[in-house]
Amino acid sequence: MIRCLIIDDEPFARQEVADLLEKHADIEVLAQCGNAIEALQHINRLKPDLIFVDIQMPRINGMELIAMLNPEQMPRAVFITAFDEYAVKAFDNNAFDYLLKPIDENRFNQTLDKVRTNIAPQLLAPILPKQLAHLPCYSGSKLKVITTADVEFIVSDVGGIHVHCRNGFSHTHLTLKVLEEKTALFRCHKQYLISPDAISEIEITDTGADVTTHSGAKVPVSRRYLKELKQLLGFQ
Amino acid sequence: MSLILLLTQQMCVYLVIVYLVSKTPLFKFFAEGSKRLPHKVFIYVVFSLFCIMATYFGEQTTGAIANTRAMGAVLGGLLGGPVTGFFVGLTGGLHRYSMGGFTDIACAISTTLEGLSAGLVSYYLKKAGQSESVYTPSKVFMLTFCAELMQMSLILLFAKPFDQAWALVYVIAPPMLLINSLGAAMFMSIVRDQKAMFDKLSSSFSTNALKIAERSVGILSKGFNEESSQKVAKIIIEETRVGAVAITDCHKLLAFIGIGADHHLPNTPISSQITLDAIAQNKVMFADGVDTTYACSISNHCNLGSSLVIPLRSNDEVVGTIKLYEPKNKLFLNINRTLGEGIARLLSNQILYGRFEQQKSLLMQAEIKLLHAQVNPHFLFNALNTIGAIISRDPPMAKKLIKQLSQFLRINLTRTTGLVTLGDELEHIDAYLAIEHARFIDKLNVSITIPTIYHHHKMPAFTLQPLIENAVKHGTSLMLDEGVIKVNAKVEGNDLLLSVTDNAGLYQPSINTEGLGMNLVHKRLQNLFGEHYGIEVHSQADEFTCVSVRIPLEEATL
Repeated sequence: MIRCLIIDDEPFARQEVADLLEKHADIEVLAQCGNAIEALQHINRLKPDLIFVDIQMPRINGMELIAMLNPEQMPRAVFITAFDEYAVKAFDNNAFDYLLKPIDENRFNQTLDKVRTNIAPQLLAPILPKQLAHLPCYSGSKLKVITTADVEFIVSDVGGIHVHCRNGFSHTHLTLKVLEEKTALFRCHKQYLISPDAISEIEITDTGADVTTHSGAKVPVSRRYLKELKQLLGFQ
Repeated sequence: MSLILLLTQQMCVYLVIVYLVSKTPLFKFFAEGSKRLPHKVFIYVVFSLFCIMATYFGEQTTGAIANTRAMGAVLGGLLGGPVTGFFVGLTGGLHRYSMGGFTDIACAISTTLEGLSAGLVSYYLKKAGQSESVYTPSKVFMLTFCAELMQMSLILLFAKPFDQAWALVYVIAPPMLLINSLGAAMFMSIVRDQKAMFDKLSSSFSTNALKIAERSVGILSKGFNEESSQKVAKIIIEETRVGAVAITDCHKLLAFIGIGADHHLPNTPISSQITLDAIAQNKVMFADGVDTTYACSISNHCNLGSSLVIPLRSNDEVVGTIKLYEPKNKLFLNINRTLGEGIARLLSNQILYGRFEQQKSLLMQAEIKLLHAQVNPHFLFNALNTIGAIISRDPPMAKKLIKQLSQFLRINLTRTTGLVTLGDELEHIDAYLAIEHARFIDKLNVSITIPTIYHHHKMPAFTLQPLIENAVKHGTSLMLDEGVIKVNAKVEGNDLLLSVTDNAGLYQPSINTEGLGMNLVHKRLQNLFGEHYGIEVHSQADEFTCVSVRIPLEEATL
């Protein structure tokens, strides 16, 4: 059984994919998502084998969404686009799976056949953004998108991953590892990432250092990351 | 008594000389107080000669000379300033001294002083900003009179024996005082009149030229054709009062007004050789009817006797001619020749400007057309995809959507770039929104509140619709929550303000690609209605973006 998600901001477009999948008994639709943030949540939770993802979506597009996923839980992706010359060219060049709207059923079936023979995710790195400009976040049940440049630090604890900005904090489903790789945030502690731009003071302590951010928050720096941080900031 | 007559005679000689000089270019040396050296030298030479001649022609009276030397010295000082005046007086005085006689010293000193004092008076008048009063005859009269009084006093003071001097002064004082003063005053009067005539002539020339420029402005820039040429020809003939005015393009007569209009008919081919030559050689041609004969090429009975043909140029390329005629019994005034060439230059500039404007507007029309024909492909394919999804579930709904999509496309592809009513524009918007509603369902909420009284208001096609499309494309479609778009109309003074407000607040002036489309709408509104009108954007990040269109409430201007 192949377990899949359908991600598109237009309800009828999602319905169309679901309708086409109804004829394939070996494919199960776990959920439909109307935007990238919902999708991220569902992917983390449901760990699907396959996603159908529209490229053009509000705030965080399909490419950015995939760039945010952990390599371990990366599903096989089939892109869907109405009109995006550059993306289509890139898909063709890399033999990635994609469908054009309105979706042609024959092509849809061919794509599914290809996926069935090898469900392993393709190496999408060449077409994905290297850095994330926005981070999908939530506080309570409200979704929001935070500009990466506004982040001061990110902390991980048993409650999840918390993104702190000057004016408050929210939560994200992104992992620290992805955040460390795809943003300019610096790992200063097992549980912390800090933005070098947000550092106001560093106080050396027994265990490493304490950083004070511009908004006055304290962030611990463990000894193993201190040297690198000092180098990054220009201290020898 | 005979002394008066003799001195009058002398004075008359001077006045005749002045009159003659006033007809030559040298006259400007008299008429304007230049500070330049050549001017000073000229004044010095002329008035020193006056002084010397005055002494020569003067009447020998009991060992002294009755003369009009004072006139020369005073005028030299007035026109040349203190230094020149001093030298004129000194030259005249030294010359007088060389002639001898018992008043030689007194005369020499007084002539020098006369020149100097007149110069000082002129200097102070100029400083006081009254340089024109140097030319006032009454003032000149008074000044010369005083100068002569001084001379008489000096003769009485210095000439010995006093008895003889007294006898002399008794005889020569009245005629010399009178004639010198009168002569200087009349001299200045001639200068002043001549100057005034000059000013009047050139000011009437400038007035004429300015009037033509003012009246004809903008006529030819709307197009160089029969209609505009007629208007311009009419203005030229009214302002210059020449016999006839014609305007041609390179092949045919566009307008003819004045004498001979009965047989010089517009829209007939150019027949006169002189016009063809002017076009071929790109040169001003003039047949004055005296040296170069002018004969009408159409009718033997034509009364026109002289003609000036000036090419009209657009970027150095001849596009036509303008022709001024005078009848056989009238002289072609030089002033009209110069004016004619000026008019041609003026009209040429206007034609060039007109072509430039025309091309600019053509380009803009093409841009607009291109922009409108460009249906956003993303929108189109998504719409088709939506219809495809709906078709099996809800065939009537799908059918309706196809109809609305077709309507939207038809308007985009066929609508002209001209004016439409607000109602038409709203129809276009409805077709567009029907599709977007189907795509986004409850995520898009649009409310249009425009009173029906404005539905007949005219505006350029594609003014409002692109703004709504932008609000969806760059605004609400990028929101995670529900997108709300409000379209309103309100009256502000004499303007109608149509506004499109979305709740996304994602407007970024420089980054958005919508800039091109919005700029074009803005420019077109400004071109059509004026600088005051166009598009205004207010936005607050993450709160709202409000784009409003300002157009005149009164449609009279359209």
